[in-house]
Amino acid sequence: MSKPTFHRADERRFLDERGSSGPLAPNGLNPATIMEKAVRERIVDSYFYKEQCFGVNEADIVDRVVEHVDFIGGVSGIAQKPTPFLCLAFKLLQLAPGDDVLAEYLQFGGEKFKYLRALAVFYVRLTRTDKAVFETLEPFLEDRRKLRRKGRDGTTLTFMDVFVDDLLTKDRVCATSLWKMRKRDILEDLELLEPRVSPLGALEDLLEEEDEIIQDGEGGEANGDGHE
Amino acid sequence: WESDNDDAGNNSDSSQPNKKHTVDDTDDLDPAAEYAAWKLRELKRLRRERDAIEARERDLVELERRRNLTEEERRAEDDAHVAAQREEKESRGKMA
Repeated sequence: MSKPTFHRADERRFLDERGSSGPLAPNGLNPATIMEKAVRERIVDSYFYKEQCFGVNEADIVDRVVEHVDFIGGVSGIAQKPTPFLCLAFKLLQLAPGDDVLAEYLQFGGEKFKYLRALAVFYVRLTRTDKAVFETLEPFLEDRRKLRRKGRDGTTLTFMDVFVDDLLTKDRVCATSLWKMRKRDILEDLELLEPRVSPLGALEDLLEEEDEIIQDGEGGEANGDGHE
Repeated sequence: WESDNDDAGNNSDSSQPNKKHTVDDTDDLDPAAEYAAWKLRELKRLRRERDAIEARERDLVELERRRNLTEEERRAEDDAHVAAQREEKESRGKMA
């Protein structure tokens, strides 16, 4: 089945048909069931979703992120209220933007607005094939910008590279179970991926250097640029 | 959805979007320190991957070694292992 030529303003059709009429995500999952049912229902019930995600298209997503998303997270509080971040991720599942749109979110938009990039990497992890996920996400392990993260134990500081690393290695991020990808070394053995080269350079030198840094202490203040 | 922010200090100055959060996410306040912190995280990730590969290789070597043993040698090794486990368990039992 192909993507409908026009977008329905609300989620009713998407949810009523449980994704049976629309296209599947590139990794073969049904976008209507990628998020858990309980979370989905809370999102559809939330004021943010009703007010800010009605009749939104791919371009409006950028506006919403810039205006309303200043932390990442899944659900918060006793009522397990979904965050704007999660609501917009759900909207993206419904919109199913193509790779060209995602590239804009990640690159041009992502440079300016870090939470837009965070949203896009989250969406890519949910819907793209394992090979594409590794290829798309790994460059952002270099992005060291700070992110606010709201979890069960309040708001904490995290970083884009940590968030991307969580997406690549953990199985549950932001109240969403991530689908099980093949491990990186398996993909390397199948010759689908090249081994990852860290932006810092060759691995062997780095591992020796690392021991020194860790011995110096983890403050990171004093040894800031001693290695350049 | 913004009014009941649970980590809000005070909602009066909502004109400043950053004021309602206790965590500051402004970048480039101290680029050198931020770079150093990122470098440490990256090194830990590389170390983690390297350790995973080494653990897997150790397992393979051990597997190969076991396969090359004769039946008696294998049994002797198993008995020693079981004996060690039992001893461990008994010593724990006495403590309690």
